[in-house]
Amino acid sequence: MIIPFVDLKTQYQNLKPEIDKAIEDVISKTMFIGGTYPEDFEKAYAEKYGVKHCISVGNGTDAIYIALKALNIGLGDEVITTSVSWIATSEAISQTGAKVVFVDIEQDSLLIDVSFIEKKITNKTKAILPVHLYGQPAKIDKIKELCDKHNLYLVEDCAQAHFAEFKRQRVGTFGDIGTFSFYPGKNLGAYGDAGGVITNNDELAKFMRMFSRHGSLVKHQHEIEGINSRMDAIQAAILSVKLPHILDWNKQRFDNACLYNKHLKDIKEISLPKIMADVSHIFHLYVIKTDRRDKLQKFLDEKGIQNGVHYPTGLPFLKAYDYLGHKEEDFPNAFNEPKKILSLPMSPELTEEQIIYVSNAIKEFFEK
Amino acid sequence: MRFIDLQTQYLEYKTEIDAQINDVISNASFIMGSKIEELEDILANYVGIKHAIGCASGTDALLLALMTYDLQPDDEIITTPFTFIATSEVISFLKAKPVFVDIKEKSYNIDPKQIRNAITSKTKGIIAVDIFGQCANYDEINSVAQENNLFVIEDAAQSFGAEYKGKKACSLTDMTCTSFFPAKPLGCYGDGGMVFTNNDKKAEKLKSLRVHGKGSHKYDNIQIGVNARLDTIQAAVLLAKFPHYKKEIELRNQKASYYTERLNDCVITPHVCAHNLSVYAQYSIRAKNRDQLQEHLNTKGIPTAVHYPRPLHLQTAFSFLGYKKGAFPISEKVSNEIVSLPMHPFLTEKDQDKISEEIISFYS
Repeated sequence: MIIPFVDLKTQYQNLKPEIDKAIEDVISKTMFIGGTYPEDFEKAYAEKYGVKHCISVGNGTDAIYIALKALNIGLGDEVITTSVSWIATSEAISQTGAKVVFVDIEQDSLLIDVSFIEKKITNKTKAILPVHLYGQPAKIDKIKELCDKHNLYLVEDCAQAHFAEFKRQRVGTFGDIGTFSFYPGKNLGAYGDAGGVITNNDELAKFMRMFSRHGSLVKHQHEIEGINSRMDAIQAAILSVKLPHILDWNKQRFDNACLYNKHLKDIKEISLPKIMADVSHIFHLYVIKTDRRDKLQKFLDEKGIQNGVHYPTGLPFLKAYDYLGHKEEDFPNAFNEPKKILSLPMSPELTEEQIIYVSNAIKEFFEK
Repeated sequence: MRFIDLQTQYLEYKTEIDAQINDVISNASFIMGSKIEELEDILANYVGIKHAIGCASGTDALLLALMTYDLQPDDEIITTPFTFIATSEVISFLKAKPVFVDIKEKSYNIDPKQIRNAITSKTKGIIAVDIFGQCANYDEINSVAQENNLFVIEDAAQSFGAEYKGKKACSLTDMTCTSFFPAKPLGCYGDGGMVFTNNDKKAEKLKSLRVHGKGSHKYDNIQIGVNARLDTIQAAVLLAKFPHYKKEIELRNQKASYYTERLNDCVITPHVCAHNLSVYAQYSIRAKNRDQLQEHLNTKGIPTAVHYPRPLHLQTAFSFLGYKKGAFPISEKVSNEIVSLPMHPFLTEKDQDKISEEIISFYS
């Protein structure tokens, strides 16, 4: 049996008539760039999310970059972020010219460790960029307090956490801007690269809209220099079909995580994902930890159980950040924990039968 | 009447386009993968260049190409002010300085002689644009570049498939870029672009930069890059359209000749140099009382567009460069007179007759 890591094929089959129609509509109207499809999605997303503005952009990396540019962050500034995430988070900071300042993670949740943030704040710090990793909100109330105390901007990287909540408030709405990825495998995913930003601030919204469309709101009148970062209309139309299902899908992911927990709880050699207080975890990824990760991974591969490691190396230890000269002891958790983590198949479409199959395979491995 | 008729084109190739898109969706393989490589191979082979690297847009193609030159702040790049903002935007984006030089009055392409005068000790390269689908004068541009040790990027966003002295656009300089924006002669169904180069090292660097500066695998990031992939679904659309493209280029040239025969005495029609084959991304005429002509055609149901109403040196976004009105008289004059007429492979003679008659009647 092959267990797919994310089951986009089944999801497509479930929505086929609507998705096919959406794509056909865009093509037959030949409205591929801008226009009603991205605009309709932006409105629907903002409304469902409960924010004033959503601006669709090319991808999740661009979303972060555009957010930071809107806050006028650049050369000479510092932005504080977590040390375990996809590189997009820190890459977008570097793209602005600002310096990336990493903070170690909590050993249990793998989220940014808030207790280390304050000592990293300098007079150059402009913003904090927490990541709601794997679908679990970081301790955003504490981070928000620090931002208020030190007069810093707060940009939330919600690429993996669409509609996740902290104390019943949705992530992405605590700070100045929330950024999203709609990469195909995300909880809400398009059929190609796509991203978005949300904000309640009219000025920031206007800037981000202009900046992501070559600095122009009226064709051929460029008020500022910008970039080309648009969501394709085809992708917007597909996302509009999927959007009404996102809360159900998030719940199904959570239910599937509970099933994994039930079937895996007796295995001493692994630790299950830690759900922190006050959050709704939407389980973009279901990540277990074990000291025998590499061997387990190989075993699951052989069984046809697709899996992943998110992410194998803490950001400060990637070659791209050699120039910062970080050492193991600077971020011990970000150095050690990535060696233990393994992401199991997770999607709303995952069946209990599949979960049991995966769980039994893991039991088999540790009983050998 | 449509300015560009993508609907008819879709209906013509519907079976192939639908099949390609279905293939991507039913396999749920949306990011990179074999269709991207297939398209890259086919188009590299077509233009006669070793490496083709698909990317998210024409702007990203230029950005990635320029990133491989490791520009330093204050480096100068010479380019044309008579084009879309993307060309100079990427220069500023990388903190280098765009230096504009004027265009030739007939071809609207950058004037190689003026490039020579604009070179300083800080000049690192040239970005030439093949405006409206006609290649710039690369023999002269490349020789100025060689004498001064500069790189040249061909911005072929509008000229994929065009020819210069028997050689294909996208093969004429060190590094070349094109766009597959839907309205381009070869367009996809969203944003898309491609970079071409014969340089192995640069090709490798481009491929890494396009996917977050990756090294040997996805999570091995060796440099700071960007996210600038061509969507697989867009590659699929291009794979369906490309087999028809040669025929479409011929049709575009036929439509252009048909216009020119009718309008030559009345307005300034496009001038294509004898050694060039244009793909007519735009069929643009220069007309007296342009705005009124446009208004007249608009009331008759004829869509037109102005490419480009304001040269880049006079855009607010570039005011920091300090150029004044009058700095590039030809670009400024052409911007005031130019107007593009409907142009696509499916334009009918009946429509072209109507358009021509309305233009002639406006002036008589």
